[in-house]
Amino acid sequence: MNFNIPKKRISNSKNAFLSISIGTIAGLITYHLFLHFHIAIFGWNFGLVFAPLVAGYIETILARKIIGESIGAISAFILFIFTVIYSFILKNPTLGYNVITFGSLAVILQAALPTLINHFLFVVIIGILSYFLGIFKKITDYFNYFLKLIYHKITGKPQTHSLKESIEYDENLENIEINSLNTLFISSSEVRYKIKEYKGIFEGRILFPKDTFLISSNFEKKEKKLLNKLKHAKEQALLNLSESAEKEGCNCILNLSIEYDTVGLGGDSFQIVAKGTGVII
Amino acid sequence: MILSSTNTLDNKEIINYHGLVTGESLIGSNVYKDLFSGVRDVVGGRTSRYEVEIQKARELTFDSMKKKAEELNANAIIGLKISYNNLGGTMGNTILVTAYGTAVTYK
Repeated sequence: MNFNIPKKRISNSKNAFLSISIGTIAGLITYHLFLHFHIAIFGWNFGLVFAPLVAGYIETILARKIIGESIGAISAFILFIFTVIYSFILKNPTLGYNVITFGSLAVILQAALPTLINHFLFVVIIGILSYFLGIFKKITDYFNYFLKLIYHKITGKPQTHSLKESIEYDENLENIEINSLNTLFISSSEVRYKIKEYKGIFEGRILFPKDTFLISSNFEKKEKKLLNKLKHAKEQALLNLSESAEKEGCNCILNLSIEYDTVGLGGDSFQIVAKGTGVII
Repeated sequence: MILSSTNTLDNKEIINYHGLVTGESLIGSNVYKDLFSGVRDVVGGRTSRYEVEIQKARELTFDSMKKKAEELNANAIIGLKISYNNLGGTMGNTILVTAYGTAVTYK
């Protein structure tokens, strides 16, 4: 048997492979340099953009010189996948998979395929997939639950609720401590009692860092924990407010307002401010 | 139980102030939810998934407030304030619904 593959084609594919690998290596070196000198703004490294760009550029130039035609920047694609995996998933797990990652992948995919297939891929398949993933999660949750039940029956250990353990703050005690203070909190601006003296505006604030929990198997638990943290922080802010008001001799806070905010770079911490007018009644 | 955002209750006399009652609830980020509302955002139409969630969170908030007010033997909440806060996240979709007011007894 004798396949008549022209010699030029074999050497062409060899050349193409060579230029792709040289482009990839150049891209990797660029990315390494960007990481090494830490050329970043707001924690976002410019290497993510420039490394695939350099790889694609070098590859195209080489291909044009050796083969005489462009071969479609495959090394840029390789570099893109590498940088995304390295920087978003391995290096920086707090950031996780985000809209940019999925968006860039979607852009690459949709450029390569016709519109009808795109619609099928992005609307139909993802829709069905997300629906079934929801069911799948429910099934595994039930399975997990029954497995735990069986385990505790066999070993005879009392079943502990991991959800309740993780919460240090008791929800049922909310507001009780606040209302047992000497300071009376009134959220309206009028009060039936006679006001003897106005003491001015008082503030109690609290700041605490936010945990990012984008990659998590148990969203509900994390949400519950966050909510509890917020409740606890709010009580603390109110305590701070009453403390500063009591120093001035106030026994009532009128027109109380509580504000929840995110502050800091990229909104990475919560701020709760409780403020109101301190009066003596 | 009267819930009012006004400062006083007209034609009713407030006998006793019991103090502050608060309620919070959280709508967290959820990949499945986001995917669907993301598709809706592109295709058009109301993102009803979030509407339903916010309504649910609002009711939860009010329920917890009412429960606390009942424990204080109050029969009304005045000066009620409710706010919706976006707590951000990378995708910007953790929504906190908070409400607070003064528990009072009226006659």
